[in-house]
Amino acid sequence: MVYLMTSLPSLSLGEAPPITIDEFNDDAKRQLSSRHFKALQSVDIQKLDAKVGVKSISSLLNSIKEDLSEVRTAKAQNRQPKPERMPNSLLRGNPMERERNILQWQWEELQDIEAGKTFTLTEVLVYKLKLQLVERLYSFDEIKGAEVLASVVNPGKNKEGK
Amino acid sequence: MAGIKIKYTKTERARQKKILKVSERMLPLFEAMEKSLMATINTIAERIEQIREEIEKNRKAAEPWTAVMSDSWVNIDEFISVNKIVTKTIDVAGVRVQQFVKVDFNVMPINDNTPLWVDDAIELMQVQLQLLAEIECLKEQIELLEEELLDVRARVKLFENRRIPNAKLAIRKIGQKLQDDERLTIATAKVVKTSKQKEGSL
Repeated sequence: MVYLMTSLPSLSLGEAPPITIDEFNDDAKRQLSSRHFKALQSVDIQKLDAKVGVKSISSLLNSIKEDLSEVRTAKAQNRQPKPERMPNSLLRGNPMERERNILQWQWEELQDIEAGKTFTLTEVLVYKLKLQLVERLYSFDEIKGAEVLASVVNPGKNKEGK
Repeated sequence: MAGIKIKYTKTERARQKKILKVSERMLPLFEAMEKSLMATINTIAERIEQIREEIEKNRKAAEPWTAVMSDSWVNIDEFISVNKIVTKTIDVAGVRVQQFVKVDFNVMPINDNTPLWVDDAIELMQVQLQLLAEIECLKEQIELLEEELLDVRARVKLFENRRIPNAKLAIRKIGQKLQDDERLTIATAKVVKTSKQKEGSL
């Protein structure tokens, strides 16, 4: 665990990921016990339902899930959302600003979780989650995004008379 | 008229007069139809332009956040696709065309793991796809109306350049011929009468 954490590059939100998730997983597989590696595999910020052994992380993922659900419910009900953990101020702005705010908030929450947990499994799990956030934020690209929109928005071809 | 054989009879003259009468009655109708079709086509073309402007306006409004659509966690293609474009048959300027009603979408249910921007992207894409589908329907309407317009223009030209002038010419020629024949008959009759009178006096 100590060797793994000291060998990993430091992460910074908003910059290019210095390592890919696959590379990280390869390193972790080599250097962690199978029990720890299994725990690492189970943690994934894209899978908020997954069971995670570390309570603080599990609680964060669960809060993210519930708060996103509350935001959607509130929108459907045309009312102000009342997320429990996520500050309401994050939801201001356009969808891009909102995602950035949420990523920043998740990053800060993860930093709070890992504080004082040097060379523990928690730090390894948090590193993976933070790497996922860095990779995700780095994937936001104006040109590619416009291409994605253009690829979906083109005339439908199936036509049927009423 | 060249090459057309005219029967120089009173029946033929009556027939040509009837053709002329019908043609002169039909021509204004076809001209009105031509104008109506042209006006309708222009209106539809203007509507297409309006929709294009709306699409561009929506695209520009979304520009500040389209970067998020390249999110490595999401493949937006999987969330939305067009199932079918629903249309209904209507009559526009006497032509049966398909009018846009709505787009039926296949939208994948969004779960709690899905980032929030996906909801906004789906809404935007639905709006843009609806507008584009409407443009396609309107383009097809224009195609059908232009086909009809060509047909009507051909009819107008046929009446203006052939039927009406041909009928007028035929009536005039038959009239002249019948008049000539009548004169000839009278002259012949007079000659015969004169000859008979001369024979009688001898």
